[in-house]
Amino acid sequence: MQKTMTGRERVLAALSNEPTDRTAVCNPTSVATVELMDLVEAPFPEANRDPELMARLAATGYTELGFDTIMPVFTIIQESSALGCKIQWEQKDNWPTVRMREPIWEDVDDITIPDDFLTHPDTQCVLEAIKLLKKEYGDEIAVIGKTMGPWSLGYHCFGVEPFLLLSLDDPGKTKLALDRMKEATVQFGVAQIEAGADALTLPDHATGDLVSGEYYQRYLRDLHIEFVDRIPIPLILHICGRTVDRMEYIAQTGMAAFHYDSKNEPQESMDIVKERIALVGNINNPETLFSKEPEDVKAEVIKNLDAGVPLIGPECAIPLQTTIENLQAIPEAVKEWHRARDNKDRSGQAHANALNGENT
Amino acid sequence: MRRVVDIGRRIELIPIDPHFHDITIGLYRQQIVDTTTGKDSPAFLVHTYSCISGAAERIENVIQGMQILGGMLRTVEGLLYFPCNSAHEAACRRVFLEACKFAPNTRIEPRPLNILDKKSQLTISVDSTGKGIYRVSADGEGRGAARRISAIAGGLMKLGEMESIESDNKDTVAFACGQPHDALIGLLLTRAPNVRVVLREEEMGASRGVLTAPSQQT
Repeated sequence: MQKTMTGRERVLAALSNEPTDRTAVCNPTSVATVELMDLVEAPFPEANRDPELMARLAATGYTELGFDTIMPVFTIIQESSALGCKIQWEQKDNWPTVRMREPIWEDVDDITIPDDFLTHPDTQCVLEAIKLLKKEYGDEIAVIGKTMGPWSLGYHCFGVEPFLLLSLDDPGKTKLALDRMKEATVQFGVAQIEAGADALTLPDHATGDLVSGEYYQRYLRDLHIEFVDRIPIPLILHICGRTVDRMEYIAQTGMAAFHYDSKNEPQESMDIVKERIALVGNINNPETLFSKEPEDVKAEVIKNLDAGVPLIGPECAIPLQTTIENLQAIPEAVKEWHRARDNKDRSGQAHANALNGENT
Repeated sequence: MRRVVDIGRRIELIPIDPHFHDITIGLYRQQIVDTTTGKDSPAFLVHTYSCISGAAERIENVIQGMQILGGMLRTVEGLLYFPCNSAHEAACRRVFLEACKFAPNTRIEPRPLNILDKKSQLTISVDSTGKGIYRVSADGEGRGAARRISAIAGGLMKLGEMESIESDNKDTVAFACGQPHDALIGLLLTRAPNVRVVLREEEMGASRGVLTAPSQQT
């Protein structure tokens, strides 16, 4: 019988396609809720800007929800803020956003990574929070950081429409833009490794609704291969939406895992990626986790487990009003599924032994 | 050590309480067992995870407001329930939302069983005819009045999960429990004329805090 692993061992083994004692429960993106903010007195927006509050809120993913990971980078705008984008920080019950109607860059030549990119308060906050979490929980669970990919940064810094139009009108310039912006991804990623992160989520929003699989292959696949070389830690690529049309390309990148959306069926996705990249996520946010009951959450978890998905978690950053009981249902379902399977294995073995006994 | 405990199924949430330090207040549904009869029935818990000073008093405030506005009773443990022992979950959610709108130290009174309908400028009344049945009427007549009466009766049905009682004017509704709930119907009546607005507000509230991909943000 395999020894019980710590959450950290479990997650890192799953990300390396190695055996685990049970399926890992992993949140590559935020599991913060307004109730958890109250519990630890770490509300948004302060918890996105103060490292101590950020670490405290993130830790509830482990201490209260029972995940095998802690992921303190709740937002997708920390590095965009450091690059100079204007941020709407919002209130406790809403996500901060980049004011994309006021883009900071219009042309490729405008792209510059500021000298203070890694010392800016909104990137420093993440680095300090990771250090705090590593010190407190580093032996028990995996601390996951996050560095945004260049496609996402393009949306934030150029605006969604201008950036997409650029990609249609001038592929050469687009590639050049991505090439320049990728330095921010690498710098922030490497800084988080130095701060103690065990793995990094790399969201690059070439989402199913706006960008085709062919686009992914043309603009991003090679860049993502390069990230695997330059950011020496397990990387978890995150792309929202229906993405089966690009999973083949994603599986070729060498990334450790793909954080995938509930718009993709677990089995069809596993069939595409095979064992080249681990899958994580898939539990639906807006309908299941937000509006349904723990039994519905468990049903989705089981569907993933039955398909052999090695890391289970929400498909994306969860809605801030999600119930705690629905989130706790994820690790519960994983443990229940394994218990049931182990019992079945044991009774099968006992049955086989009894038959052998009869025969001898 | 885990600090979150099982307090039932959350059925409503105020993510930010503007009257008390932006704390989050939840309404949870539980089942309680009557020790004398052995029967179980639904009860509701008002709860915050906030431990800041004064939070418990704020919760007490909301509980008292719900008792007055919804005609609810309370157990020694502080759980709320309706005298009929039915859940009336949708109505209870409405009572909770309305109770949270009152600032601490506000004098709360049960709502009257009549309102001025701004749309028609008619006074709309709701009268109990017994067995949980209520009839909606107006102080004027005509097609406009009949239309508003039936619309408001429809609003009551939606907000309170009430049943329609067959009548010529579509003016009669009933609680499935067959018991009167005057305070509750008075509370629902204030929102029934604008039920679409209420539902739209609820939808908008629910969509707050859902992260969308950058491609869907503006």
